[in-house]
Amino acid sequence: MSLISFFRESYVVAWKDMRLWVKNPMVPFTRSLMLPLLWIVIFGTAFGGTATNIPVAVVMQDHSTIATNFVSELGTGGTLKLIPASESEAFRMLKYMKVSAVILIPGDFSTRIKAGGRAEVMLTLDDTTPQISTTVSSKVYGMARAFSSSGKGIHVDKNTLYGRGITYLDFLAPGVIIMTIIFSSFFSGGLSLVMDREFGTITMLLVSPISRDAIIMGKIFAGVLQSLTSGIVALTIALIMGVRIRTGFDGFLIILLILLIAGFGFIGMSTALAVKINELDQLMVVTQTIIMPMWFISGGLYPIASMPHWMRIIAMLNPLTYATNALRAVMLRGIIWQTLTLDIAVITAFAFVMLFVGSYLFKKSIS
Amino acid sequence: MIIETRNLTKEYNGIKALKDVSFSVKEGEIFGFLGPNGAGKTTTIKILTTLLMPTSGEVYVNGYNVVEEATKVRESIGLVPQENVLENDLTARENLIFHGMLYNIKGRKLEDRVEKALKFADLESRADEKVRNFSGGTKRRLETVKAFLHSPKIIFLDEPSLGLDPQSRRLFWDYIEKINKEEKITIFLTTHYMDEADYLCDRVCIIDVGKILDLDTPKKLKEKFGEGEVVEITVPKARKFAEILKEKCECNIIKVDEERLKISSKHKERALTEIFKNADELGVSILDISVREPTLEDVFIHYTGKGIREGKGDFTKAVLRRFKG
Repeated sequence: MSLISFFRESYVVAWKDMRLWVKNPMVPFTRSLMLPLLWIVIFGTAFGGTATNIPVAVVMQDHSTIATNFVSELGTGGTLKLIPASESEAFRMLKYMKVSAVILIPGDFSTRIKAGGRAEVMLTLDDTTPQISTTVSSKVYGMARAFSSSGKGIHVDKNTLYGRGITYLDFLAPGVIIMTIIFSSFFSGGLSLVMDREFGTITMLLVSPISRDAIIMGKIFAGVLQSLTSGIVALTIALIMGVRIRTGFDGFLIILLILLIAGFGFIGMSTALAVKINELDQLMVVTQTIIMPMWFISGGLYPIASMPHWMRIIAMLNPLTYATNALRAVMLRGIIWQTLTLDIAVITAFAFVMLFVGSYLFKKSIS
Repeated sequence: MIIETRNLTKEYNGIKALKDVSFSVKEGEIFGFLGPNGAGKTTTIKILTTLLMPTSGEVYVNGYNVVEEATKVRESIGLVPQENVLENDLTARENLIFHGMLYNIKGRKLEDRVEKALKFADLESRADEKVRNFSGGTKRRLETVKAFLHSPKIIFLDEPSLGLDPQSRRLFWDYIEKINKEEKITIFLTTHYMDEADYLCDRVCIIDVGKILDLDTPKKLKEKFGEGEVVEITVPKARKFAEILKEKCECNIIKVDEERLKISSKHKERALTEIFKNADELGVSILDISVREPTLEDVFIHYTGKGIREGKGDFTKAVLRRFKG
């Protein structure tokens, strides 16, 4: 008897849940189908793909046919995008992240080959993106070997811009720190708002003499503080794990500034979303659907250069890309304002817009 | 007058939840808003506490206009809403401190008030426990002392004893009386429990479907309607019996159906004599008879022609909505 009533009750519970599921298909649909699909598309194409069109500056100090052949062979296959430049111009582009590597063909390249000796090619890599460095150097080494096998020895003299080997961990750390910021922004900003509404605690704020604007500000600040804290914790963990930062105290301040601006932006965004959401599980779904893809297409996990074209366009429109870029630039390259300004300007603009939209919608919802 | 409304009307999507409601509350009294679910009680409290804007009409709380001087109104009031709005993961003390901070009470003064409030709610020993562990009654007590932590002029209680067991209810009523008497705070409460209004309130306003039906002291309300005591009789052919009684004795028929009859009379003895005499003459036997003081429920039925509608309140509605979509 008790077993029967147990099944009956289970059925009732299941019936209700199924009923809700049928009534509101978007939430479970997103959860059970859309997300895995999205992940597969992103993982599959972004991470499985090979980098193409990597910008590389080429300095030709030898204009002989052999040298020209060697370089034009490098340009085949679409992996590298060759940009002819003078030596000083090439290294400036490398420093300001316009190109990922510089290939220098010295003036004695063809004469040495003709003499049957070993010719040299100088390869200087921006090693802050390990995947890209590996792709470029394997291409150059491969080509050198191909030329060598036909009897002409070519030696590649490889240098890295930042001296020591930058590991994938160094590359990944800034992306993960930004991810921590966005996750905690959503969970401290949006979540607390939805909870307040769900449990009615917002009522107590609304009947108190505290002004509406102060409620909004207080919520935003608490959220930013929480997300900044978790960002700093993530940074600390990265340092403990062996990630090295190329800057001193001033660089650390800029790192904090970037985290702060990103925090404001994402708190604003999560507030705007939370205003329209009344239930916690809805928020979870929205959060996952929005921020996971945003992160994957931000270059935080894998270089944007290895993404297909359409995804690169999304990456360009993704504020997370700029936050990750800025943070990575400071952590791996040091303070180079020429490259930082654009990134910081974009995330600042994003933060302002999101804060405005978020607080506007929030205020509308409580007055 | 500490609260005054003039022709207060509130519309939701064209439906009038309150229609030309005018009443006033005297300073220092316990004022009850009595009505079934959906009568407009919560809407009224929300307007009085500045959570909702009136559609038309004027509302003054502690002399301030709720629309134009909302902040002044908010400073003058405390609210204990229907649902529990304590922060469950904070301790009792932290909840009170947070509340004090909202009202800009600081330092020594805040500490004193918090201690006093904890003592008042009998929660000194559990002050540093998370609110999550408290029972419904304890939470309600904490919420109520929280509402007067900042010494408001008026405390609003929306269905304060909803979901409390009988013992907690009685204890809770005593707390409200104590706050009213000792702290000299005006209490405005809504309820759909007749006994609660009867026990606590100095004056009661009966409201249904957005309209005020009557407003007076519980005693006067009871007198007004029936004049005297209520006699309930179980008897066959009750309708016919009622007609005969109406002719022969000075009494009011309150309610009658197939075999039950409820009357009120100023002269209990005479009414009883008549009842038995007429039963004999009619040849019917009285199965049951009881005499009692009238209750507010009798008054309510007198006004609305029906008892308080239990259920189908907000909670039930919410559940039904989930099922029906």
